[in-house]
Amino acid sequence: MNLEYILNAGKTILLSCGVTIRLFAIVLAVSIPLGFIFTMLAGCKVSPVRWLMKGLIYLLRGTPLMLQLLFVYFGVPNIPGLGQYFLFDRFSAACFAFILNYAAYLAEIYRGGLLAIDQGQYEAAKVLGLTRLQTMTRVIIPQMIRVALPAVGNEAVTLLKDTALGFTIGLVEITHVTKTMVNNSGNPMMYAVAAVVYLVINMLITFAFKKAEQKTSF
Amino acid sequence: MAFIEIRNLKKSFHSLEVLRDINFEVNRGDVIVVIGSSGSGKSTLLRCLIDLEKIDGGTVKVDDEYLIEDGRYAHKNQVKKITAKMGMVFQSFNLFPHMTVQNNLITPYMLTTGESREEALKRSDALLAKVGLQDKKNEHPSKLSGGQKQRVAIARALMKSPEIMLFDEPTSALDPELTQEVLATIKQLAKEHMTMVIVTHEMSFAREVATKVVFMDNGSILEEGTPGEIFGSPKEARTIEFLGYSEK
Repeated sequence: MNLEYILNAGKTILLSCGVTIRLFAIVLAVSIPLGFIFTMLAGCKVSPVRWLMKGLIYLLRGTPLMLQLLFVYFGVPNIPGLGQYFLFDRFSAACFAFILNYAAYLAEIYRGGLLAIDQGQYEAAKVLGLTRLQTMTRVIIPQMIRVALPAVGNEAVTLLKDTALGFTIGLVEITHVTKTMVNNSGNPMMYAVAAVVYLVINMLITFAFKKAEQKTSF
Repeated sequence: MAFIEIRNLKKSFHSLEVLRDINFEVNRGDVIVVIGSSGSGKSTLLRCLIDLEKIDGGTVKVDDEYLIEDGRYAHKNQVKKITAKMGMVFQSFNLFPHMTVQNNLITPYMLTTGESREEALKRSDALLAKVGLQDKKNEHPSKLSGGQKQRVAIARALMKSPEIMLFDEPTSALDPELTQEVLATIKQLAKEHMTMVIVTHEMSFAREVATKVVFMDNGSILEEGTPGEIFGSPKEARTIEFLGYSEK
């Protein structure tokens, strides 16, 4: 057990970072706008659409993410008739399950952000002659983003850690690689190395969101 | 012909009647001050005019065009065209907090008129100078006092050159000193013969600028007349009672 060994192990773990970071980035980039679409649909005036969306959000928030992940990867392909069209590889299955789950959480965060905006903002926009779309894009969403950003940053930190659930479907990400290396070497120090890698990435995420918060403050 | 004509306007919130059979006219150049106790329907009347509240019955005609004919609203493009002639100022200012003062003025203007940025800036500079806030144009609203915010809100409403300005208790959120600076701006508009309907509790201001004072009580217009008539010799007992309290 020397320093060189640990450094080599660190390098191997760092190489597996790619999958973790790609999963993180794709899920964040897609679920942030998708969450907003969920929010809009859950507030839709057409009752069946609203009920369906609220039901979906309830389902996604009310069941374990790991269960959803297992269902997408192992369960869906076995659905008679439909399953053959939904054969995901591990990475795609993880993306799919994570995106839906995080969009549901973000939808609730955005809803809270919208509730925080004074009714007077809508009224001012209306009497100035703005269309509904202009009101949303120019007046409401910029204010909602400011309110929601700290909570979204918190979700991003959670998301990075949740990528470790990919382990359960055999996705070769940081935790998976670490576990394999511990099995091979019997050296539990590998866990600490993985922990440091997660911490460093999360430090960067937190920093990025702090910057974004400063930029949107007014 | 009256600029705004309101006939038999009715409005209820569920079972509560807030406007009962309102008949009311605004001529060009009028400065109409609407007074009355809280809950008398003054604000609702103003909000119905600019389509922030839907009415339940009656007719509203603006500039000889029907906004509402016998309880039926005109096509929404027509409603938009008519309400575009009106500017409104709220008790709570309702400035857009994420925009600078200048952008509060020019962004809605450019979006709704399609005018160039140069034209918008020319107008906003002139209007900010008029309300005495040119030096604040790059500030966000959070950096302004209440009086300054309300003056920006007035300038913002004036950007599209409205033919009538509606003021919904413009000074009720302000202390007496800031109230005066906002009232001075409104008086300036009165001097320029801007048509205005102002809901307020500022009686001495009403006496000074109004061409007509309207007293509302319990959803009805109880009495209207010149400031001299309403403040000097009110006829209705309820008016006398209300004015008695506000004089104290």
